[in-house]
Amino acid sequence: MIPLITSEMLGHGWMKASEISDIVAIAEMTPGPLGLNCATFAGLKAAGFIGAVAANLGALTPSLSLCLIGAVFFEKFKKSNIMQKILVGVRPACIAMVIGVIFTLSASNYVTDSGISVISIAISIVDILLLRIAKLGIPTVIIISAITGLLIYGVLGF
Amino acid sequence: MKKDSDNIDTTKEEMTPETSAQHEVISRSSLRSLFLDFFKFGLFTFGGGWSIVAQMQKIYVEERKEISSQELLDLTSVGRSLPGTMIGNIAILFGYSRHGVPGSIVCLFAMVLPPFLVLLIVAGCYTAFRNNFWVASAMNGIRCAVVPIIIMAAFNMIKGAFKFKACYLVTVICVVLYLLFDVNCVYLVILGAICGLVISEFYERKGGM
Repeated sequence: MIPLITSEMLGHGWMKASEISDIVAIAEMTPGPLGLNCATFAGLKAAGFIGAVAANLGALTPSLSLCLIGAVFFEKFKKSNIMQKILVGVRPACIAMVIGVIFTLSASNYVTDSGISVISIAISIVDILLLRIAKLGIPTVIIISAITGLLIYGVLGF
Repeated sequence: MKKDSDNIDTTKEEMTPETSAQHEVISRSSLRSLFLDFFKFGLFTFGGGWSIVAQMQKIYVEERKEISSQELLDLTSVGRSLPGTMIGNIAILFGYSRHGVPGSIVCLFAMVLPPFLVLLIVAGCYTAFRNNFWVASAMNGIRCAVVPIIIMAAFNMIKGAFKFKACYLVTVICVVLYLLFDVNCVYLVILGAICGLVISEFYERKGGM
């Protein structure tokens, strides 16, 4: 998605190369999926508010069209015998994707240029306890982690 | 566990999108609460689409018991393998299963609205935002929460994901293909589907004899 946006933006002269590198940084810092955030940001830079709306609608078109058709079929056939058999194998594959994502995200979140970040891992362990034992909601845990980040990385300067 | 899913199945029969006109009388999330839920999901989705699956697991599977973890897993697999943004697809699929087309549109737009609004504000001063020390510190903290959130979701979704012992093998093979060979998720889902057919067929014949 990123290389595609880069070449289109530069090709049309809508953004400068330095602005494009900012897209990813900003898209990662704000909530929401990276692809949609890139679209919003690029749309804003290229044509203001209307551009942002247009870019979002564009990025959502596959979901609104193909996936909606997919949803109709899936609802219709999910109880069918053959679909149930297919799902027997698809569910383990989906679990595998989650495990894969956990590995790749861990690699990028805990391994920094200066080695493995013990403090990040410690915060994560606390987060697991908050989710599992204290049964806190996900938004609460995110807010607690943000405050912890402010204190530990910001105030204490780790 | 079995009984639970049976219950869900029978209520589901009455909940097909065709009957969505009578949604007031059926106890499931209303369009309004779908909007509020997905607005919240959108606001707290950091670190990629998987945290929305975790939030749905927490709200719809654990707290309200509207869907089973298998159903969520099914939606996720279908959403991941169709083109477009994964979480957009999941919103569409879940919304459709609740309230047909209006449900899917409500879920999708409620979810994309918060990131859109946040970016509208941030984009005006993004250079200051990007280089702000305190924002970066808070983001570092949030990043620490992402993996735990997904781990907990995976932990909860594993229940009921493996119908037969051979299913574990499918997971192991797919993890290896994903991590070591960088195989696209669509192919993993297709591989899973084929394995599912073969495994189910095998156990059915074995059971029949």
